[in-house]
Amino acid sequence: MALLEVENLQTHFRTPSGINRAVDGVSFHVNEGETLAIVGESGCGKSVTSMSLMRLVPEPPGKIAGAIRFAGRDLLQLSDREMRAIRGNEISMIFQEPMTSLNPVLTVGRQIRETLMIHQGLDKQAAEAHAIEMLTLVGIPEPKRRVREYPHQLSGGMRQRVMIAVALACNPKLLIADEPTTALDVTIQAQILKLMLGLKRRVGAAIILITHDLGVVAEIAERVMVMYAGRKVEEAPVAELFRSPRHPYTQGLLGAVPKLGSSLAGTATRLAEIPGQVPDLRKPIIGCVFAGRCALATDLCRQYAPGLEEKGPRHIAACHYAAKGAVAA
Amino acid sequence: MLSYILRRIVATLPVMAIVALFVFSLLYIAPGDPAVVIAGDQASPEDVERIRQSLGLDRPFLVQFGSWVWRILHGDLGTSIFTNLPVSTMIGQRLGPTLSLMIVTLLLTIVVAVPLGVVAAWKAGSLIDRAIMGFAVFGFSLPVFVVGYMLAYIFALELEWLPVQGYTPMAAGFWPWLENLILPAIALGCVYIALVARITRAAMLEVLQQDYIRTAKAKGMGQGGILFIHGLKNAAVPIVTVIGIGIALLIGGAVVTESVFAIPGLGRLTIDAILRRDYPVIQGIVLLFSFVYVLVNLMIDVTYTLVDPRIRY
Repeated sequence: MALLEVENLQTHFRTPSGINRAVDGVSFHVNEGETLAIVGESGCGKSVTSMSLMRLVPEPPGKIAGAIRFAGRDLLQLSDREMRAIRGNEISMIFQEPMTSLNPVLTVGRQIRETLMIHQGLDKQAAEAHAIEMLTLVGIPEPKRRVREYPHQLSGGMRQRVMIAVALACNPKLLIADEPTTALDVTIQAQILKLMLGLKRRVGAAIILITHDLGVVAEIAERVMVMYAGRKVEEAPVAELFRSPRHPYTQGLLGAVPKLGSSLAGTATRLAEIPGQVPDLRKPIIGCVFAGRCALATDLCRQYAPGLEEKGPRHIAACHYAAKGAVAA
Repeated sequence: MLSYILRRIVATLPVMAIVALFVFSLLYIAPGDPAVVIAGDQASPEDVERIRQSLGLDRPFLVQFGSWVWRILHGDLGTSIFTNLPVSTMIGQRLGPTLSLMIVTLLLTIVVAVPLGVVAAWKAGSLIDRAIMGFAVFGFSLPVFVVGYMLAYIFALELEWLPVQGYTPMAAGFWPWLENLILPAIALGCVYIALVARITRAAMLEVLQQDYIRTAKAKGMGQGGILFIHGLKNAAVPIVTVIGIGIALLIGGAVVTESVFAIPGLGRLTIDAILRRDYPVIQGIVLLFSFVYVLVNLMIDVTYTLVDPRIRY
């Protein structure tokens, strides 16, 4: 059953040069315990989507419209106080920058404790004990000593582990991870992903993973949603998407991933790139958002925006020529 | 940490020595023969000679400086030319009112300016922000004595809520002591509050952009906790610095404030001593002020380590 249902989410920002439609009419859902990946290039609106779910978009200049139903309640209808009771408690978030996302002047222990004290009403001792437990859980050695340390005394990987400890301290139902491994070494990346998956199973949380790293997606996601220019252009179970991407943009994304060892095997080809630029989101877009960069685009695409259509089993894409695209791939 | 403080105190010695040299040279930098200056206009040549000998002014400069420093190290700041009282006694009598005024002003500033700056940063660009910053400009541009006379006129003469002027020692009770200090502290604190509020706002604006503030929000933390726990502690270094530097401002302002409100403190003593060319008193006061300032600087540096764990000495 759906834990989170997002309907026609629109997050717009008022700017001096017009309204920036960072997220424009996106709908999706996340089931309990499921891992959904949201992928797309920089500026496609994936981070704004995640910030909108937590209502962390500054308003003004931002404005969130639509409906975000979480466990039966529309988050956009809640008061600030009710929303605070959900943040860090039922929905929590891990950010991209472990180096700057922890407060440099407070101890690691305090930063984990806070969540517990705000949401579970624990006293300092109980929260401290739980914080040490959380540090052990995320694989930080000597947690009793580390709990008294400050972020600058920890490495990037350690800090991301602390962030995970903060996020999972209250056993959230939904964890939003916004590029959690982008800033880390490749070896640390794998450790952190493994840790997240392990804890997810333990806690039973659903995960929304925001990333542009398709390797990470293949590894941990169950379902993938592809975003482009603030819209959802394709959505499918992960294996299905990698096997037969329907939207030309998704095909482009997959084509832009280097294959390890291909040059040794002599099968190396020039990496495919997607020519052109993301359209200006401050101007109304007529027709398909991807038309300007799409090799298959016709006058139809430039005049009429394609709707999301069923293209395969649990597979939807917004393209007039999706079937043709699948053949082309 | 303790060794750092000790090292810093040792390091202040050369600073104090240079200050002492300057203070001592005051007598020589001032135009004319010090003995003539001290003796005044109506003195006979015999008087001048007597003063010259009694002050040891006929001896070489360095010898004089050496014996002056030696006496200071033994707690002897010399004797006032005008009152013939020991300078240390005169300063001791005047220390209480000035210290009281400075402490009340300092507390008032911290209690008023820091929250104002935080709120201005939180509501940046709003009407509240503009009102607070408008007040800050106002506070900057009004001289201490104008504010002082205005406050005395409104709250003491017209409304009769507070005494017009004077000073009551704390020994006579807390409220009598405080009520005499409220108006002077506001007058003296105006510029200081404006300065600290502006710096607090600027520091907080920067801090509120940081990723860890977003993290605090994502934890479900309330606005108060975000601003005052996660925000303010990170913004504390520049705020502490400007509060410390402001103490130098206070020392200057205290001279004027004490005159306006007839507070018998060091400021008044300074003015009187300058007008009477009472050099031993001037030297004593300047030396004391520079010592206080060196001490405040040390306190600023120590406070840094309390608010930011990344700063270690």
